[in-house]
Amino acid sequence: MVLFALCACTFGGVSVSVAGQVRAPASGAKLPAIDEVGPGRLERLEQWLKAAARHSPGEDDEALTEAAAWTNDDLKKLWVDVNALTQIIRLPPDRRPSKFTIRSEDQKRPTLVNYTATQFKRLTALACSAGGNLNDPPGERTAHGRQCIETADQLDADLRQLSALVHSAKIRGDDNYIIRRGALLHGDVAMLAPYSMEAPGDVRPTGGLERFRMEISDGQEIDLRQSAVHWEMARMLLDFVRPQGSDHADPGRDDMVRQWYRATASWMQLREDHDKRHLDRARTIFPNDPDLLFLSASQHETYAGVPIQTAVRSAVLPVGVTMDVGVERAELREAEGLYRRVLELRPDHAEARMRYGRVLGGLAKHAEAAPELRHAIAGLSEPEQQYYAELFLGAEEAALGNRAAARAAYDRAAELFPLAQSPLLGLSEVARRSGDRAGALKAIDRLFTLTGEDRDEHDDPWWWYYTAQARDAEDLLEAMWLPYRTDRLQ
Amino acid sequence: VKHCLTTAIAVLACAAGGYAQQSPAFSSKIEAVRVDVLVTDNGQPVRGLGPADFEIADNGVPQTVDLVSFDEIPLNVILALDMSDSVAGERLEQLRGAGSRVLEALKSGDQAALVTFSHAVQLGSRLTADIATVRSALADAQSSGQTALIDGTYAGIMVGESDPGRALLIVFSDGVDTSSWLRADAVLDTARRADVVVYGVSVVSRLKPEFLREIASLTGGRLFEIEKTTNLAATFLGILEEFRHRYLVSYTPKGVSKDGWHKLDVRVKNRRTTLKARPGYLAGDAGRD
Repeated sequence: MVLFALCACTFGGVSVSVAGQVRAPASGAKLPAIDEVGPGRLERLEQWLKAAARHSPGEDDEALTEAAAWTNDDLKKLWVDVNALTQIIRLPPDRRPSKFTIRSEDQKRPTLVNYTATQFKRLTALACSAGGNLNDPPGERTAHGRQCIETADQLDADLRQLSALVHSAKIRGDDNYIIRRGALLHGDVAMLAPYSMEAPGDVRPTGGLERFRMEISDGQEIDLRQSAVHWEMARMLLDFVRPQGSDHADPGRDDMVRQWYRATASWMQLREDHDKRHLDRARTIFPNDPDLLFLSASQHETYAGVPIQTAVRSAVLPVGVTMDVGVERAELREAEGLYRRVLELRPDHAEARMRYGRVLGGLAKHAEAAPELRHAIAGLSEPEQQYYAELFLGAEEAALGNRAAARAAYDRAAELFPLAQSPLLGLSEVARRSGDRAGALKAIDRLFTLTGEDRDEHDDPWWWYYTAQARDAEDLLEAMWLPYRTDRLQ
Repeated sequence: VKHCLTTAIAVLACAAGGYAQQSPAFSSKIEAVRVDVLVTDNGQPVRGLGPADFEIADNGVPQTVDLVSFDEIPLNVILALDMSDSVAGERLEQLRGAGSRVLEALKSGDQAALVTFSHAVQLGSRLTADIATVRSALADAQSSGQTALIDGTYAGIMVGESDPGRALLIVFSDGVDTSSWLRADAVLDTARRADVVVYGVSVVSRLKPEFLREIASLTGGRLFEIEKTTNLAATFLGILEEFRHRYLVSYTPKGVSKDGWHKLDVRVKNRRTTLKARPGYLAGDAGRD
């Protein structure tokens, strides 16, 4: 299946979902201007703090199970309270508000959040724990720190231990303990507990923090539903990351944030669970990162592909909901520009060059595509990538009318993956186009003899081209998770 | 598209065997063009027409019809069937049933073949007069994966091209292409060069079956868009019946260039009839070594 952070297709039992963009209606969307905080909200925030501090990244543990059970309504409120908590932690006491204005990724008007005096006192106490202020050395205590000590008896052992963990992290130079762990928790829920993403609810947009998910199968929409906002929570938290030595949030200077975006975006592409906003945010934070630009380019290339384009054409969306997927040519142009940018930054990125060549071919720039593909082949070492480059070169040479060169490229692709059908189809079609019926039949006969072989999903890399760019997603996730498996709440 | 006229006549009488044996025929220097024509009057097939009744213009140049055959030429029926994820359960059984009914309706001398496609294209059976073999392959076909409709249709055309007999390709799909390597325009180009008549059967959905519509039109066939597959067998049998009532008209082109697109204009003299035939054919080379 393919999922858009509005969608899903089935392919050999693999779930593919494409989340297209869902937007609030252009007019008539009444944003909740004032959020009066109801009872129980801060208890959830406390649960969240403990779950974030207890969760072992990459593992389906109790903390993850607890967070996965929260309803989407819980999450939307939690999103507000975590945001307020983070503002308290981050802002100096003299600039700390008693009312908070909060705006989600898609909102143009902010929401004003009103806590009662009692709620605000509890929020401040929780911020003492999450900010590590209970453990500030006596000589370094600010007014806020002294206030925290006074409220320590309102915090249980877990929250006091959390403060100690945060303080230790600060001593090591990282003042982002709960922010990173909260983001890791929500990202993990989205990836490791997919059932939690199925949030029952109206599919009409209301203008608040929302995420829709469309499933497509074999090119057709099979489901549209609200989806839990775990990715939005994670992205919001990481926006608050403050690099060592900085007095303000600047996630673009933080390597963990970069690794998180790269790994999670790769995971999304590998699982065909697409969300354009994820990479859009990543590129806003890291505008010149070649890895993120590459993933963005491949996402647009995927959106230009037949499975997604077909799904978009077949989709019936509620009023006010749109999918942020352009027509094939527009998506190819986006991909072309992004791949070109990658190659400017890293001219030796052979995989980007190979994909750039394919995209140029898709835009009918065959004379430009062929040399890019030949250039890419010289730099590729993985057989799968070499196969793609030869296959695409075959198509480009054929488009240019260079039959012998097309045959040679297709032959090389067939040698790399002898059970693949695509090069044989290409060889046959090239021959038939030139009037060589016998040659066309000979090539197709080679394909037909594959029928008797024990064929499976792995015979032809063309079948998984749209996920191949993300083949290292699991390694990237593991590397990103590893440093955060220690120093947790026990 | 072009065949040795003398060989073609022989083959029309007894189309059989694989392309390995038949392929030398394609290298002959005397070449004929075959056009499959459905002639109806008020929806009913018109019978009894001979060469003198037809007028054919090739790129506007009138041609002399050499041969017209009706109902006496054995058929090569190729089934190219969608076996993607969406064709499962009851629909798969209905598809197998429809294919079986077509196989049962074949006459002595007819041949059949089976191509199935999901994302993978598979040859269930080559063209053979041994219908039991094809039936067995049809029974074994399983559904899974995405839809390589364009690749599967190309493979079906090539099976048709593997034998100089009169080829009918029935393509069934309940969706649209999602995973082919070949581009639609390339396969349409192949169809313009081939003698295979393509009939498409598509299940109505929000997506228009443009590829099947175009390839059916290009080859002189038809597209059937059905609401449900409960009566798929009737649709398949109707296609076979219609195809049997078509004339196979051949002529040796004169006064026209060899290569490029040849627009065909086929008419029946002195009668008010409705004709369905391919709009033209493509010949010659397109590229360089």
